[in-house]
Amino acid sequence: MIKLFDYILSVNCYKQRLIMSILDVPFESIPVDFYPGLEHKGEEFKKINPLGHIPVIDDDGFMLRDAHAILVYLASKYDPTGLWYPVNSPELVGETTQWMLFAEGTTNTASAARLHVNLGYEFDIDSCREGAHRLFRVLDEHLWFREQENRDWVCSGEHPTIADIAIFPDVILSEEGGIARIDYPAIRRWTDRVKRLPGFLPMPGIFPTADARPLSHEV
Amino acid sequence: MACFQRLEPMSKSLTNLWHPIASAEDLPYRHIFQGQLLGRELAVWRADDDFVNIWENRCLHRGVRLSIGRNEGLELKCQYHGWRYANRSAGCTYIPAHPADAPARTICNRTFPVCERYGLIWSGEDPTGDPPEISLLEKGRTLPLRSIAVNASLNLVLEHLANYRFSLNGDPGNLAVTTADYLDQCSLSVTATCDSKQSTVLFFVQPVDSNRSVIRGVLCSSPTDSERLLTLRHHSTELSHLREKVELDALKAPLIQPMTPTIEQVPITSYEIMMPSSGRKASLRVQVLRKWVTAEGIVGLELESIGKPLPTPQPGAHIDVHLPNGLVRQYSLTNAPGQGSLYRLGVKLESDSRGGSSCLHETVKEGDVLAISEPRNNFSLRRDAVKTLLVAGGIGVTPLLSMAHTLRNNKLDYELHYFAQTDGHLAFPEVLQEFGDAVVLHLGLSPEATSKELTALLLGYKSAMHVYVCGPGPMLEAARRIASEEGWPDTAVHFEYFRNTIEIDSSSSFEVSLARSALTLEIPSGKTILEILRANGITLMSSCEQGACGTCEVPVVEGDPEHQDVYLNDSEKAAGQRIMTCVSRAKSPRLVLDI
Repeated sequence: MIKLFDYILSVNCYKQRLIMSILDVPFESIPVDFYPGLEHKGEEFKKINPLGHIPVIDDDGFMLRDAHAILVYLASKYDPTGLWYPVNSPELVGETTQWMLFAEGTTNTASAARLHVNLGYEFDIDSCREGAHRLFRVLDEHLWFREQENRDWVCSGEHPTIADIAIFPDVILSEEGGIARIDYPAIRRWTDRVKRLPGFLPMPGIFPTADARPLSHEV
Repeated sequence: MACFQRLEPMSKSLTNLWHPIASAEDLPYRHIFQGQLLGRELAVWRADDDFVNIWENRCLHRGVRLSIGRNEGLELKCQYHGWRYANRSAGCTYIPAHPADAPARTICNRTFPVCERYGLIWSGEDPTGDPPEISLLEKGRTLPLRSIAVNASLNLVLEHLANYRFSLNGDPGNLAVTTADYLDQCSLSVTATCDSKQSTVLFFVQPVDSNRSVIRGVLCSSPTDSERLLTLRHHSTELSHLREKVELDALKAPLIQPMTPTIEQVPITSYEIMMPSSGRKASLRVQVLRKWVTAEGIVGLELESIGKPLPTPQPGAHIDVHLPNGLVRQYSLTNAPGQGSLYRLGVKLESDSRGGSSCLHETVKEGDVLAISEPRNNFSLRRDAVKTLLVAGGIGVTPLLSMAHTLRNNKLDYELHYFAQTDGHLAFPEVLQEFGDAVVLHLGLSPEATSKELTALLLGYKSAMHVYVCGPGPMLEAARRIASEEGWPDTAVHFEYFRNTIEIDSSSSFEVSLARSALTLEIPSGKTILEILRANGITLMSSCEQGACGTCEVPVVEGDPEHQDVYLNDSEKAAGQRIMTCVSRAKSPRLVLDI
């Protein structure tokens, strides 16, 4: 079974739990005392990841670190539909990669602000917040036009991708870092849609939302 | 420009204006939009009946934002402790920490006026007059633009918008000459002219706070499908450019203090104590909107408020109806929280009517005005049961319908067992259909067969199951007896009688001491406690005044009550801690009441 070196409050660990829950992949969570123990910075953990950060997965001996790389691996290996990481379409896989890189930006701004507020990390909080708002403005406009094209997700296909999974946690927990989402109504609607994905998993600070409209044959 | 009708005089205060606060498309199915106007945050949600609710974005319990809660279709549920509030009225309908108690009617969130028009949702702090009618938008088809939030004051945004330029064909390199006209202090029109063609955009600037605004544009024409996206993108891009300039200017401007909206103190009385104000008050006036025969001998009545909106109908609640002939009768509400802004009743013509049901059947007609009391809920529904059985006999189905609606909307496990003579006697068949397989009909059964069916359906009690029974006396007695035999504790068996058929013995005389009022009164034979209290200026709420509804209940501190009501269950009667003052008396020479 996949082992996930995990911390309950980490957005990057949550991304892995979420995709594995959606893909129905069983995994074992190995808790790492991230705070206050700083176990990931200790000598023992550096044998697992010399960079000293989580998440890391161990899939039957295959070790992989870095949240967005793990998403690529898990979707490539465990999604038989090939829709979550759409390598069969050059356009879609390009877009997915583009938005995964965008997620690096949201992690380094919105989630960094959250680490500063919640766990006392020394970041320039004003610049984190400004950076997050700059990205959110772009994302909100993008998602608004996606809706105009009757599309629900960040990439242009009909199906969500790991790019949605990569961006969602940074966005949905932004208020913990003092980044309000009141000015981003299209982002707020998109977060509802992510929460309605079958297999959606909550975490502290991320709550389920009301169910989607039932399909006509279910009424 | 002559074609614009001025919305409001220029001098009106911002709090007295209607402002757009959201786009219609901001409110998809089961979403809660987070808005803000003049510093006040709003939770805006469209209910399943299409009604748009605009509320203070604040749970009355712990102040948590309701916009992170759940839109459950007809109720909004706070994410924190699960308090629920009804569509339309915003009244609290359920407090999970007190599952057996009906929340007090006074727990009601603040609502703001709403109007959906031109693809926008309009509201205001305290708007005077009707929502704006804009002739240019009335005429043809329109296209709402993507709204743009700007970190700048209303006036700064308006100044820049007056110089807004755009292209008629979406080509950013070909911006047309524009002219601007103010409509009022928050809105203006911008018209672009190019090669004798014209395009006009109306801009409404929403004053979010002192230093924050939202630009809401509506294009006064509707481009073809192929041009639509191009047009929307063009305006989104040009307005984003404009925003950059406005925000640079805003950085140079002196910072204005954020607005501080006043949060109204909502009177939250405890959910346990609903302090009575007086006797049978009929504070509401309603008009009979619709009256129809819903089943053999049963009419349905829909009552619509005259004046202020009706209080939230909680599942199991009833109202007093003051009839034209002077009689006062109690009827259960059949509709659930959030279902419409009216009350729906079902009234059976009693063969031995003493004038109540016959008056509603024969005299009252559509359009008539009736006086009713505010709803009271002495038959409240828990929403923490693993399974709920609703058992109805005849017209006793009425309170159970509102419960079934609520349980169904909350996706909780329930069954509605409906005992009736024939299917022609089933009230509100169109409503029953909505419940699908959850309805089990038991038709034309003798009393013996009824008991047998009750035994079958009450078999297999499990912890945290609850049963609610309403129907004729003998059936209720049977259901209570069988439930007890099948191991149901009294606390899991909830019932409501139509009337008290116990012959009331009022021959005793005794003394009543009022612990809180420091008053001792003699209750002579032939007089009720309630009558003597009232004669001595003690106000007490009452409704049926025959020991069936539970409204005039009072806590007992000392003494031995002689219960003659059908509201309390056997263990409650044995405990002797509560008394129905309209019929019950004392076995001991003295009763001390906690009033």
